[in-house]
Amino acid sequence: MTARSTVLGFILLAALLVAVPLTAHNEYELRLFMLFLVYAIIALGLNVLVGLAGLISLGQAGLFALGAYSGAVLATRFGFGLVAGSIAGIAITTVFGVLLAYPTVRVRGVYLAVITIAFGLIVENAAIEWQGLTGGPMGITNIPKPHLLGMRLSGFAYFAVLAVVLFATAVGTHNMKNSRYGRAMLAVAQSETAARSLGINATAVRTLAFAISAATAGLAGALYSFLNSYISPDVFTFSDSIRFLLMVIFGGAGTTTGPLLGALLLTYLPEYLQQLQYWQAFAYGFLLAAVMFVLPQGVFGTAVELVRRLRPGARTIDGARAVELAQALRSQSHSRTDLGADHRAHAGAELLAETLTVRFGGLIALDEVSMQVRPGEIHALIGPNGSGKSTLVNTITGFYQPAHGRVALDGTDLTRASPHEIARHGLARTFQNTELFGDLTVIENVMVGYDQRFRYGLFDAAIRTPRFRRGEQVCGEVAASLLGFLGLLKYAHEKARFLPFGLQRRLEVARALASGPRLLLLDEPAAGLTAKEIEELDGMIRRIASLGVSVLLIEHHIELIMAIADRVTVLDYGEVIASDVPDRIQQDARVIEAYFGAPVTAKA
Amino acid sequence: MQAAVQYILAGLAIGGIYALVALGFHIMWSAARAVNFAHGDTLMLGAVLAIMGLDAGLPLWLACTLSLVASCLFGVLLERFAIRPFATHAMSIGWMLTTMAVGIMLEALVTMRFGGFSRPLPSPGIERSISVLGAGVYPQELLIPLAAILSVIGLGILRKRTLIGRAMQAVAFDRRAAALMGINVNGVVAFSFALAATLGGAAGILVAPVTQASASMGLILGLKGFAVAIIGGITSAPGVLIAGLGFGVVEKFVEGYISTAAREIVGFGLTILVLLVFPQGLLGKREIFKV
Repeated sequence: MTARSTVLGFILLAALLVAVPLTAHNEYELRLFMLFLVYAIIALGLNVLVGLAGLISLGQAGLFALGAYSGAVLATRFGFGLVAGSIAGIAITTVFGVLLAYPTVRVRGVYLAVITIAFGLIVENAAIEWQGLTGGPMGITNIPKPHLLGMRLSGFAYFAVLAVVLFATAVGTHNMKNSRYGRAMLAVAQSETAARSLGINATAVRTLAFAISAATAGLAGALYSFLNSYISPDVFTFSDSIRFLLMVIFGGAGTTTGPLLGALLLTYLPEYLQQLQYWQAFAYGFLLAAVMFVLPQGVFGTAVELVRRLRPGARTIDGARAVELAQALRSQSHSRTDLGADHRAHAGAELLAETLTVRFGGLIALDEVSMQVRPGEIHALIGPNGSGKSTLVNTITGFYQPAHGRVALDGTDLTRASPHEIARHGLARTFQNTELFGDLTVIENVMVGYDQRFRYGLFDAAIRTPRFRRGEQVCGEVAASLLGFLGLLKYAHEKARFLPFGLQRRLEVARALASGPRLLLLDEPAAGLTAKEIEELDGMIRRIASLGVSVLLIEHHIELIMAIADRVTVLDYGEVIASDVPDRIQQDARVIEAYFGAPVTAKA
Repeated sequence: MQAAVQYILAGLAIGGIYALVALGFHIMWSAARAVNFAHGDTLMLGAVLAIMGLDAGLPLWLACTLSLVASCLFGVLLERFAIRPFATHAMSIGWMLTTMAVGIMLEALVTMRFGGFSRPLPSPGIERSISVLGAGVYPQELLIPLAAILSVIGLGILRKRTLIGRAMQAVAFDRRAAALMGINVNGVVAFSFALAATLGGAAGILVAPVTQASASMGLILGLKGFAVAIIGGITSAPGVLIAGLGFGVVEKFVEGYISTAAREIVGFGLTILVLLVFPQGLLGKREIFKV
């Protein structure tokens, strides 16, 4: 989406919000449109959870209800006004949203769906059961008309309030989507492993997505209670949760226009279907099924896809705005954590693994493994298949926990640290089986790698402060520089999964470098590459090391290793059998035995 | 004491229904890694068609048989047209929405034909109640958990002893590898859905005499069956059986001592708690994480 079409879209939305009250024929039409505004706020927030973070909530009506009841109870009992009631509604639902996010640490997919279903049904039944507070099945009546700044809001004035809130929500969520936060959510949804290896705290990202979707539902709920002056449990059922989810999917998840369109269609559709009387419910189901068959990405999502296919945009980017490679790699500041040690940023880190032991059940995958990568060197780790190389890599990067032993980067103990903490210390990695964010473009992949170097916060992103713009600009320059270095500039706007295999491997290197690492861990970068590609890889690794990044290279390709490694460590059956300069390794009897077996007869 | 026995027996009866529904979710999940949100409506279809068969003058056994055949057919068609086209890749959730849409359509159709009210299915199982330890129950209520237990045992035997059963296990473990071994994966999946839908229809026929049948009965029974499948561990048949019976008993106690709304709160609250402690359900298999 270009900047111009985005601005145009928001102007259209604003025009619609102004035009409807001017053309509404009666109170009823205006009310229906106000209902749409409330639903659209929910749908925009839910889209953050579903379309960006890739999580499903089938309990959004529960959050909507919490907001509505908070507003209604506080208004009727304690005389809260519109603003105070809405803020309270947001605060309460956000707390529940964060609580709902907690299970995602351990629970995914359909298991998570059940938790959200259960949550929604609990809220609905609590509203029925807790009669003293909620009025039970009869609900709460006599919610006072909304007041703002001491003024009683008439129908049109309240419409204006809703329209402004919707517009702000649309702008805010749209900007968030196009910031580090939106990218991090998409990244976690597509490959949590890769996201964590880039320093992204997956749990925090999911919690943020849940909190946003809950806060918007709470806000919508409070606004709804003032709009309706009456609420009861029967508008917050499981079917309503489904409807909210449908608004997002139906319109097109992951876009901003999609949920708006979905909310519009699903608010007005039932009104028109009422003419069908008995067939109303059937027609509703039929339309849903039909849309899923014909437009699997939703109405707007499919339209965007179609336009893209007919008029493909630029694939390449101009390398002119690229900065020097050395500058691109320079870690600005890991300011968001105090884990980083910036005074050493340009030196290349020292990695120390001491007596690491890893067991899988009864199997000892690593047995007292010790190794050292010296600052600035290219260190190769080799060994036959099953010798424990991958286990060692995954233990160093925090994906496996050792039974005992120690891992340290420049003297900082990282043994029990999680992958994202280790990454924030300046260790970046690639993966043996490439772990790209397949549905993000090439340049977006690299920008996700840059995530921890940003210094702007959520508020900066939502209203696009100068700090946000500056950060994004620098990120773009760094990305262009890295893509140029790895020869990927002309694929910058291609989706990563469409790249040929060799280029996917390079993109992983670019993404890892974008984090500004002091130690780069390459897990079999030459696997499956052609001779010419390996030659290019050789040059790239040397260049990276020359810029002050230590390299730990896991490889089978002996020629490459002998050519570029400063030192080599050899693993066999989970033990280090040799660690030395390449020439001596080639002569080492145990290494030769590990690779070729013991000699049967002494050769003359 | 007498009340407790009453609650336990009634709980086992409704729990047996949950277990049968959950068993269907388990079978469908194993075959297609998909959740059929219209499965509750399969149960409703079984119950309603049996009653409509009786209305048409058929004997009970024939009405039930025809209703089971129809449920089975519904399951096969649903898989073919609402799930298979949308299960193309692991992240896709299209099937979630299409199955919901099918459920909405089915419920609307049944409401038009059957009316919006509840009707019991006459059954010899509820002609007179019998006394167990001082608590009065209908034989039908004792039959339900028995049917659930037998279904789980039968499924176990099917999987261990028959060719199609072993093919089901192979597909559940790795459908690509199964296809490479010459197994007709689509056939196995279709068979699994037929089996699950038949069990769902049977659950409807079994529960209709006790709780009455209506077009809207499927929604909450389907949701609870789904919750039970997840609590038990959707990869484990014995797990869903235990979870189902347990869930039913807990529900009846809460309902008896507090209220119906409290029943849902406690039941679904327990669901969340169990998942927090056992993320894969009680007896579900933990998926091994590999980088």
